[in-house]
Amino acid sequence: MAKKNIRNFSIIAHIDHGKSTIADRLIEYTGTLSSREMEAQVLDNMDLERERGITIKAQTVRLAYKGKDGETYELNLIDTPGHVDFTYEVSRSLAACEGALLVVDAAQGVEAQTLANVYMALEHDLEIVPVINKIDLPSADPDRVKQEIEDAIGLDTGNAVLASAKTGVGIEEILDAIVEYIPAPEGDETKPLQALIFDSYFDAYKGVIAHVRVKEGRIEKGMRLKMMATGKVFEVTDVGYFAPTLVDTGHLDVGEVGFVAGSLKDVRDVRVGDTITFADNPAAEPLPGYRGVTPMVYCGLYPVDSADYDNLKDALEKMQINDAALVFEPETSVALGFGFRCGFLGLLHMDVIQERLEREYKLRLITTAPSVIYHVYKTDGTMVKVANPSELPPQTEIEHIEEPYVKATVIVPSDYVGAVMEISQDKRGTFQNMDYLDTNRVMITYHIPLNEIIFDYFDRLKSATRGYASLDYELADYQTSKLVKVDVLLNGDPVDALSTIVHKDRAASRGRQLVSKLKEIIPQQMFEIPIQAAIGSKVIARENVRARRKDVLAKCYGGDITRKRKLLEKQKEGKKRMKAVGSVEVPQEAFMAILKID
Amino acid sequence: MDEREHPWGVYIHIPFCKSKCFYCDFPSYAGRESFMADYVSALVREIERVGALRVEEAGTPATIYIGGGTPSVLPQELLETLLTAVRRIFLEADFPQGERARERAEAGTVEYTMECNPGTVDMEMLKLCRLQGVNRLSFGVQSFDDRMLRRLGRIHTGLEAMRSAHLARIAGFDNISMDLMYGLPEETVDDFRHDLQAMVELSPEHISVYGLQLEMGTAFYKMQENGKLKLPDEETVEAMYDLLVDFLPAKGYGRYEISSFAKAGRESRHNLSYWRDAEYLGLGAAAHSYLGDRRYENTHDILAYIEGIREGESIRRLEEDVTEKAHKEEFCFLALRTTEGIEKAAFARTFGEKLTDVYAGAIADLKKKELLEETETHVRLTPLGMKYGNMAFEAFLL
Repeated sequence: MAKKNIRNFSIIAHIDHGKSTIADRLIEYTGTLSSREMEAQVLDNMDLERERGITIKAQTVRLAYKGKDGETYELNLIDTPGHVDFTYEVSRSLAACEGALLVVDAAQGVEAQTLANVYMALEHDLEIVPVINKIDLPSADPDRVKQEIEDAIGLDTGNAVLASAKTGVGIEEILDAIVEYIPAPEGDETKPLQALIFDSYFDAYKGVIAHVRVKEGRIEKGMRLKMMATGKVFEVTDVGYFAPTLVDTGHLDVGEVGFVAGSLKDVRDVRVGDTITFADNPAAEPLPGYRGVTPMVYCGLYPVDSADYDNLKDALEKMQINDAALVFEPETSVALGFGFRCGFLGLLHMDVIQERLEREYKLRLITTAPSVIYHVYKTDGTMVKVANPSELPPQTEIEHIEEPYVKATVIVPSDYVGAVMEISQDKRGTFQNMDYLDTNRVMITYHIPLNEIIFDYFDRLKSATRGYASLDYELADYQTSKLVKVDVLLNGDPVDALSTIVHKDRAASRGRQLVSKLKEIIPQQMFEIPIQAAIGSKVIARENVRARRKDVLAKCYGGDITRKRKLLEKQKEGKKRMKAVGSVEVPQEAFMAILKID
Repeated sequence: MDEREHPWGVYIHIPFCKSKCFYCDFPSYAGRESFMADYVSALVREIERVGALRVEEAGTPATIYIGGGTPSVLPQELLETLLTAVRRIFLEADFPQGERARERAEAGTVEYTMECNPGTVDMEMLKLCRLQGVNRLSFGVQSFDDRMLRRLGRIHTGLEAMRSAHLARIAGFDNISMDLMYGLPEETVDDFRHDLQAMVELSPEHISVYGLQLEMGTAFYKMQENGKLKLPDEETVEAMYDLLVDFLPAKGYGRYEISSFAKAGRESRHNLSYWRDAEYLGLGAAAHSYLGDRRYENTHDILAYIEGIREGESIRRLEEDVTEKAHKEEFCFLALRTTEGIEKAAFARTFGEKLTDVYAGAIADLKKKELLEETETHVRLTPLGMKYGNMAFEAFLL
């Protein structure tokens, strides 16, 4: 395809503002897939994505569209992950485009996450076409939203398209706007190859499939290529575009978006952000912006049934084949036995991995409360990184501890500014900035420990702002904090997996809250269970779970049997997530209890 | 045909009550007297069709149980119609020469129980039952304390319960069972002790004692939700339980199942058959059947039942195909309810596998927790295991 007829674009939107529906409509309208195929292919992504209404893996699809000028255009849609955990992936997807559709809900307006992605798109010099979606809603107010876009982002909304993906209004206009406003790609097909990898996944037959944007040069089947960051050399076995299934065309030209495969076995050889070039006549420089994967959040994953350890290991290895951002290493807990300390991009990433392990690999898991990475400076002058609270060195060996801080951006209606500030202060945040996006909406930024963000910050924001708050954050720096480790003892025995690191000033209250939450969570058993929180050897809080006095179904006759069996099954199901810690049966939620206290 | 290889039971459901007790979630209805006649004719037809067919295949049943609801609430002539049909199909089928059912029942070959509400018993009815072959009565006494009985929504008094027992004796019944409850609103351990004492003074052959369970959809459940039910605390209920399991055995009532106590040889054979994996045929609305690895359930709706039988439509639906796995589980947790426990040989006979192989882990774990003990022939709950039965039952789910 001639460069001038190619358009590469992505869609930026907040969760629920209709990104996927618009994408589906564009695919449908251009006849890329029949509606029956739509059902089978487009919608048949990971169940999790559909349930959560978010995109986890990028989806790429090429659309053929006959423009108003009668020419046929190749539109490459790169559907980006829609979550703060995947910011870097989003940035690489955006770097593969010349333009973006900014989809904003006609009733909700601009949200923090949208804004963050728009800024990112602007950084990449993308041409942005605003799309005001859901104009069919009774509460839609497109003019207000346009104004907001102009005020908040400084974007001209003169070319904005009013649409309703639900009813199909505006879809053709969107396609025309893409052709008209988004620039064609540049690049020189005679130069040494530079292709940007913006996603990858593992295919059982073809090996790793890299999603790429050819910036310079051209890819053909049989070429010997090289990953510039990892140094991996491979021969192209398959190359082509997404429809959204793989269509092998034998080549990808400059400016195009598509895939490359070369019998690569390890997804870690195919890093998002890396540049592919010729093995023998490489480009002088890689494309800018590559960065390694840095997990932000760690947690322990343990099989409930210790016999499942090897299965969990296999499952994690298989997941890693498709997810270069997932890291893990073996770990042992006195309470939980053998498991893994796993690193994730963020809480959603963690949730998704955990849920997939349970669903796809039928594993029953105990997840410990997530932790950030602390930099612990010891009195002997060394520094250790601690991602597991139970591994914090003894207090006497610690000179000081640094913890990661983020820049958190919150957007709320102005009525809730007070609430946001109160929560943020309470979360040890330092106020940085406040901007009015319009007369009603405010953007507030705080410098705040990441640890506090993963401890229910967003939940509290949402409940204090009746769901109006939106949040985005990025890692800022490491700063010294007065931190201590709070241990929990069940039945007199310390449970390492329940240890948590908290700010010294809050240790006592956190300890009390944690203990009383655990009392709610741990079910009555045949004996009384004391629960204690301690700092070092000093007990700071104590509660008892009373003994269960008796537990037996009084009646079970002919008509009851099926029902009673189901009752027992339910009871057993409940216990499946219990782990015997010493003689105490501890439910899975107990290990996350620290996140549930307020 | 008396010594059958596979004894089976019949359960017949009478879904009528004078009034609904506050704790009851059984399929029984008050104020539906007008349906009684139609219901009994439908029931008789089901007995004649389904019951007769079963007898043809499997011989006559080893036990018959008419429960409810309140069977004794049926007017005399309807009860007679029902009992006559039961006798004809289930007792006399093997004796075409017309040997009298009563003799057969008296010989103890068939255990034939009918449930009665102490408030709905009279001599005429008891005589009818005797004549038609009923040889065991089960009275829902629940308590002897009138204030408590009113709290429960019972229609009878403590005195009426005693009177019914005496009447039953006079009518010639030598096998009487009585139900008692504990853990009732505002009940103390002493209250319960009085009930137990009054109970043993009546000297029934069999006593069932149930701790109150709040079931969804009952009046008590609602009251509890609204904070209006003053139930004794867990410690008190536990003390009642401890009292119960000491008291009755000391008075000659052996505990043979979690909630069942009997004088020697007077265990309920019908109930035991549920716990020993025997087959049973349920007749009447909401009755359940267990036949050849399948559980069935008759429609709960009285009118639908009557209509269905009249139109010759099926009123029975398959509740569940009992898989091998479910069968093993049920086999075990039902048998564990009895003090005898699971008979290893019976398990091996039924499944062709050894109990101790299939459940090696569960057995070891429960033994360690002192909930279970093992003998040469059986695996059974310890007294502690009886108290925490649900934990043990659950461990036998595969």
